[in-house]
Amino acid sequence: MSTATSFVYLDYAATTPVDREVAATLAALLTEDADFANPSAPHIAGRRAGVHVRRAASRLAALVGCRPDRLVWTSGATESNNLAIVGAARYRSNRGRHLVTMPTEHKAVTDVFRALERQGFDVTWIEPGTDGVLDPADFEAALREDTQLASIMHVNNETGVIQDIDAIGDICRSRDILFHVDAAQSLGKLPIDLDTQPVDLLSASAHKIYGPAGIGLLYIADRPGCHVEALLYGGAQQRGIRPGTLPVHLIAGFGKAAEIAAARMDDDYGHLQRLRDTLWAGIREVAGLYRNGSAVRSFPGILNVSVDDIEGESLLLALEPLCVATGSACNSKDREPSYVLRALGLSDAAAQSAIRFSFGRMTRMADVELAAERYGDAVARLRQIAPVRAA
Amino acid sequence: MSGDSDIDLDIDLEVDPQVDPYGPLVRALFERPEHAGAVTGGVSAGAEGPEARVQLFARPDGETVTHLGFRAWGCPHVIAAAEYFCANHQGSALSELEAFDVSEIIEKLSVPAEKTGRILVLEDAVRALCGRLRQ
Repeated sequence: MSTATSFVYLDYAATTPVDREVAATLAALLTEDADFANPSAPHIAGRRAGVHVRRAASRLAALVGCRPDRLVWTSGATESNNLAIVGAARYRSNRGRHLVTMPTEHKAVTDVFRALERQGFDVTWIEPGTDGVLDPADFEAALREDTQLASIMHVNNETGVIQDIDAIGDICRSRDILFHVDAAQSLGKLPIDLDTQPVDLLSASAHKIYGPAGIGLLYIADRPGCHVEALLYGGAQQRGIRPGTLPVHLIAGFGKAAEIAAARMDDDYGHLQRLRDTLWAGIREVAGLYRNGSAVRSFPGILNVSVDDIEGESLLLALEPLCVATGSACNSKDREPSYVLRALGLSDAAAQSAIRFSFGRMTRMADVELAAERYGDAVARLRQIAPVRAA
Repeated sequence: MSGDSDIDLDIDLEVDPQVDPYGPLVRALFERPEHAGAVTGGVSAGAEGPEARVQLFARPDGETVTHLGFRAWGCPHVIAAAEYFCANHQGSALSELEAFDVSEIIEKLSVPAEKTGRILVLEDAVRALCGRLRQ
């Protein structure tokens, strides 16, 4: 069996390994001697499975400060984003068809808004500053009388920039605009209290917090005018908002991951800060290097850097065995520079040279020390090979 | 039903080209480019495009190009292609270099179709180098 020890994983913003306690929870709910049944069934096996689902909902609700019955299980944040944005836009379409978001959102948001544009909705794309931060005043200026929904992510998946969702949410509340937050990168990592924060819809995934892939949630606030139309049909589960037999093992695993995240949030945050600061200290002197996104409003689990006159794909290969993300689409047939970094004003070349390091609970200090060393060596080697450009 | 012993979790990236866009030859040439750098006492010429820059260096002895070197900026295939060219054409007659066809390298290195444009920069650099050598 592969022990997967031949690489150094620094791509936690993409996905995380499953925590061993979470894995044990998952495995304990799969076989015939476990509580595997359909939790919607009225028989004893179903009722037993239902206990695991409710326990998980309580754990997630405790993590984000809401009532458990406000959570809808989905297959992940991508589905949650689709359900929130399309579902809310359709639900409120008789009031207006103007929607607001940013071009630096995840594709699971931007592609949904583009689909809605094709369906006749009017979308305003608000540009952030060059540091990636959205000024709430710019946000407010983009709103109209017929604006029904705004979607602004909490932590940017490429740069780690943290948006001021409280200020933006307050503006939305004052105008009765639904406010959706993609919290895929912040759930379990930054404090979220939906009981007090002005958020109407919130999306998240388990696999970003050491839970299993294939399960996510959508929070829907309990207030007038806040609802989403279902995108799927096929049963009455979850009040018909998201039908389908619930995956008990995945939900229980998500709940366990949430419980662990809540208990470890402060420790994890401090660990990430030390890792990020060590890596940054180790590479900041590399000539032509700069950091992408605000260094002030930033989540410490992500560090995104570009470097002058280095080709990104070669840099990525030269960095092996580090597993990091580039500033372009991760597909050899599609090397388009990152649209997020381009929106921050980076040139194609600068965006293409970008590397996103992202850390997690299992990252060791030795990993980031190695990353700093490899990064400096790789840039030096590629520069040594490169032709000298005429002045 | 499968027992534990039937669970297949072993993987070998080397034998699965679908998961490695480069392959062992490109990796070896990229990681250990023995001809990277200028050649003293010779001539140089280059070419560039939006996704690749190649500069070649050559030292001739009569009609024979005894030493070749390169500098390159681009994706791993570009660097590997430049190294492959130098390693395989050092010692060639100038007339052989003039007949150089980059399709040989594209095939040897299994360069993906979407990258062939940037590999053509190498061919342009070879033609420019031959022109300098003829001078």
